Amino acid sequence: MKKKLLELEKNALKALEIADDPSELEKIRVTYLGKKGQLTSIMKNVGELPKSERPEAGKLANIIKSNISKGFEEARDRIVIGKGDQAAFLDVTLPGREPLRGHLHPITLVIKEMCQIFARMGFTVVKGPNVELDYYNFEALNFPKDHPARDMQDTLYVSENVVLRTHTSNMQVRIMEAQKPPLSVIAPGKVYRRDSDVSHTPMFHQLEGFLVDKDVSFGDLKGTLTSFAHQMFGRGTALRFRPSFFPFTEPSAEVDIQCVLCGGKGCRTCSHTGWLEILGSGMIDPEVFRFVGYDPEVYSGFAFGMGFERIAMLKYGIDDIQLFFKNDMRFLRQF
Amino acid sequence: MKVSLNWLKDYVDVEMSPDELGHLLTMNGLEVEGIETVGQSLDDIVVAKIRAVKPLPGADNLFICQVDTGRDTVQTVCGAPNVKVGALAPFALPGVKLPDGTVIKEGRIRGEISTGMLLAEDEMGLTDDHTGIMILAHDSTPGTPLFSLLPLSDRVFDVDITPNRPDCACILGIAREIAAATGQIFKRPKIEIVEDGPPIEDLTSVTIIDPEGCPRYAAGMIQRVNLGPSPFWMRYRLYLSGIRSINNLVDVTNYVMMEMGQPLHAFDYNRLKENRIVVRRAQEGEVFTTLDGVTHTLNSENLLICDGERPVALAGIMGGLNSEIFAGTENVFVESAFFDPVTIRRGSKRLGLSTEASYRFERGADIGGAVTALKRAISLISHLAGGSTSTGFIDNYPKTYTPPIIDLRVDRTNLLLGTSLSKSDISGYLKALEMEVQEINEDELKVKPPSFRVDIGREVDLMEEVARLSGYDNIPVTYPFIRPSEKGEIPELLVRDQLRSIMVGLGFTEIITYSFTSPDSADTLGAEEGSPLRSFVKILNPLTVDQSVMRTSLVPGLLATVKTNILHDEKDLKLFEWGKVFTHKEGSDLPLEKNYLAALMTGFYCQKTCNSAERHLDFYDIKGALEALLKDIGLRGSVFQKETGISRYDPGVCASIFFSGSLIGHVGRVSPGVMADYDLADVDTYLFEIDIEALLKNVSGTKEFSSFAKFPAVHRDISIIVKRQLESARIGEIIKQEGGELVESVQIFDVYEGKGIDPTEKAMAFSICYRSKHGTLDGGEINRLHESVIEKIRKETGGRLREG
Ligand SMILES: [Zn+2]
Repeated sequence: MKKKLLELEKNALKALEIADDPSELEKIRVTYLGKKGQLTSIMKNVGELPKSERPEAGKLANIIKSNISKGFEEARDRIVIGKGDQAAFLDVTLPGREPLRGHLHPITLVIKEMCQIFARMGFTVVKGPNVELDYYNFEALNFPKDHPARDMQDTLYVSENVVLRTHTSNMQVRIMEAQKPPLSVIAPGKVYRRDSDVSHTPMFHQLEGFLVDKDVSFGDLKGTLTSFAHQMFGRGTALRFRPSFFPFTEPSAEVDIQCVLCGGKGCRTCSHTGWLEILGSGMIDPEVFRFVGYDPEVYSGFAFGMGFERIAMLKYGIDDIQLFFKNDMRFLRQF
Repeated sequence: MKVSLNWLKDYVDVEMSPDELGHLLTMNGLEVEGIETVGQSLDDIVVAKIRAVKPLPGADNLFICQVDTGRDTVQTVCGAPNVKVGALAPFALPGVKLPDGTVIKEGRIRGEISTGMLLAEDEMGLTDDHTGIMILAHDSTPGTPLFSLLPLSDRVFDVDITPNRPDCACILGIAREIAAATGQIFKRPKIEIVEDGPPIEDLTSVTIIDPEGCPRYAAGMIQRVNLGPSPFWMRYRLYLSGIRSINNLVDVTNYVMMEMGQPLHAFDYNRLKENRIVVRRAQEGEVFTTLDGVTHTLNSENLLICDGERPVALAGIMGGLNSEIFAGTENVFVESAFFDPVTIRRGSKRLGLSTEASYRFERGADIGGAVTALKRAISLISHLAGGSTSTGFIDNYPKTYTPPIIDLRVDRTNLLLGTSLSKSDISGYLKALEMEVQEINEDELKVKPPSFRVDIGREVDLMEEVARLSGYDNIPVTYPFIRPSEKGEIPELLVRDQLRSIMVGLGFTEIITYSFTSPDSADTLGAEEGSPLRSFVKILNPLTVDQSVMRTSLVPGLLATVKTNILHDEKDLKLFEWGKVFTHKEGSDLPLEKNYLAALMTGFYCQKTCNSAERHLDFYDIKGALEALLKDIGLRGSVFQKETGISRYDPGVCASIFFSGSLIGHVGRVSPGVMADYDLADVDTYLFEIDIEALLKNVSGTKEFSSFAKFPAVHRDISIIVKRQLESARIGEIIKQEGGELVESVQIFDVYEGKGIDPTEKAMAFSICYRSKHGTLDGGEINRLHESVIEKIRKETGGRLREG
């Protein structure tokens, strides 16, 4: 046993002396000192010696273990820390081989986030056509032909009775026509207007949401949108509802949130008002119910619509709406 | 609409700051988009008296004026034609800064000293008048600050008027809203008329042939007026409202329109043939020249105001050149009518002619207010231009207006709003808005709205007024009960989200491009006649040609994006777009809208860096990405077939992708010709396009687990020399066919062409994995099977085993 131990010590120290790279050194450590290493297996056999020899053998084994450990540390100092110019050297500051990463478009990210918020509340997502009948885009939403309300949205026409939808509100009529209340639906998608300047793009993205049931009130609209704004912009975000006009809601309300940039103190983004207009909403007009065959004495509901570009600009601090459709990698890579 | 605060204050007391007033209006539904301060930078301008005027020698249009500034007399050179001795005019001394930023200096003009400047209205930013210096009518002392003489300092609110509130498109309408919201008294304009002329019936008559188009026509007359410029106060208010001053007659009609919302028109009475008015529809092809000099060809959609012989105005839109007020006008006929909104809108749309008058008529003027507005105008004209007002007014009113009587339920109101307002609260709000309210019982009110509230006809319209006046902010927040849906997410959306995540994981970046494109896009893609790429849905009124048809492919958007990015030196691109393409659908008003996923790679697969070698992209990179994508959504066993007939792809580097026999898309290298059209001739680009609908048919949505193999496998490799044109998949098929169910998988691990191999041939090496589901394979059995597989390959392909 003693001979075996001394032999092992000799071999180990010699190996440590000639070792010259960190991986080899680690191999030696495992061979001699590791849990399944040679020293450990000899020490396991100490128990089998006659009782009188055990203390001496144990002591020797410990001395040898400490010698090898010392030798290991010396070797490690020599290899890893010392003679850097000769030993294998890993430059951890060199860039790694980074796999190319893709990015989702910021509008997609905002659509996902907002749809998730409404889905958590119990709204179902629906999709519909971009090229739409005048009936669904206007008429059944109480925009009669020859009514000035039509001037509110510059429309791109495909034919006299077919338009590129100017809002995703077309889905209100399509869904109500096909289903019976209760309904809680959101419809995200592309919309089009004949409008192109610094702050408008002829195509953009909108979220329409609506809920129809018995006894739905304007208070419920306020609650739903307040909950949305708190989830989207933070719990403390103040909201303000103010009267407005949309042909398909009555009463109608524009909703402003407290400016997310200045916290309501007033800045350039909020035109020094402290408020940012983010959506239009209201109680669904009985006229719309009449078009889809719901009884307004039995059912009531609310609807709201907002632009994803506007929200994305506020969320990410983007100051130019055109950037969304230029698809410049220097832009897209940031999301 | 631009709204002067001083003008508002004529009709309602405002006890709050302009900002507070702006907030109040906004919160009442009259959104204030901005508040402009005007006339406040004129503090240093004083009144000066012109003491002497003589022409500047050698200059035709310049005068040397001696001007009394109150402190001393200075000499100034002035080019205004209206300088005259004794006149009072605004004067700026050297050092004064004008609103446009000009700083007045002392200088010499043609050797004459010129100190300070006599000012025209436009130079002070007051109006756009530059016909001469502003002559002040007031008898005031030189040196008096100008602002103490004239009400110059004002705030102008820019108010966004929603289409339902034409009654607020005037000063009185907004003043009325302020009064209702604050409880202040609403005052009305002064009307003072002395009817000292002959009875109006003796002078003129009005015949309405189309009472549908013109339910009411009122008119008044003043004879022997003094035509001239309007006084400064009126021109200033018109200017702040965005209206050009013409003369005192026309200005009054515009002033009353801005003040009361009623469009008026002044005719030169003497120019009306037979001195009478007839209201009728235009005949098909009838021609008429409006006062802007434009000649219109009309049809029966246009309503006309005519005299005894011919049209004299486009009703509710614009007057005619043949009857307008001109320098020689002595007798004026003033029209105050109500025209049918739809008629005016159609007429105005048809002619592409929109005016302040048509804007108001098409939204709905106040049929009940026509005579009051007429009287206000007559009162102002006689005040400003003198003359003799005829006795009485014409009021031709064939279709008398009956106001709606609306039942309003208190409970129902509270239910819809989520409020707990009392009957008297509600009644109070409505009365503040000049509605007549009658209590029927505990729950019901009968409400009669005033004639100017054309937006109110139903119970719900009244509920909105109640909500508005009680304050949206005071409605308590509640939460609706939403029943959990029984339906899951629609498959299209599930797959879309999944595909997007996978694409991003594979290193592709998402782009979003416009759904419209140029009609050239099909040519650029080399689409043949009759290709769906040419089945464009055209936009009738596009903004630009580049946006005049709906896209039939996602490829142009992707390639345009490559081009933009290469301009910014972004050359290694992996892009994708998920979106719709649009094509005509036979027998349907609406086109076919189909979702596609298209992805593109260009540049290096990886650039050379300090620790890796560069590598260019090739076909197998895009194909690999596509294969990974298909596997990841659970589509195994898609088949790639060489494709040469799709013009946007390089015919030598393109494949169609099939699944269970149906085509789901294409993959390949973008044709160099297409790239050249994008000025990207040297850019190697790889593309795939997937038809989502076809893909969805093959994706079950759920993945199925299969248990691990229980028995060991036997691996055998073969290397075989075949003709170059032979596709590897063919050999794979033969192996699977011949090996039957014992072949678990076949993998190609080498393809070799070159030294040692005939140039018409190539060597391919396959690794076959044999395994049985039922037991450990017998060595001999496998050897026999493997031999027969090799034999079959030989027979089917003419190939031979590669030796060594
Ligand atoms: Zn702000």
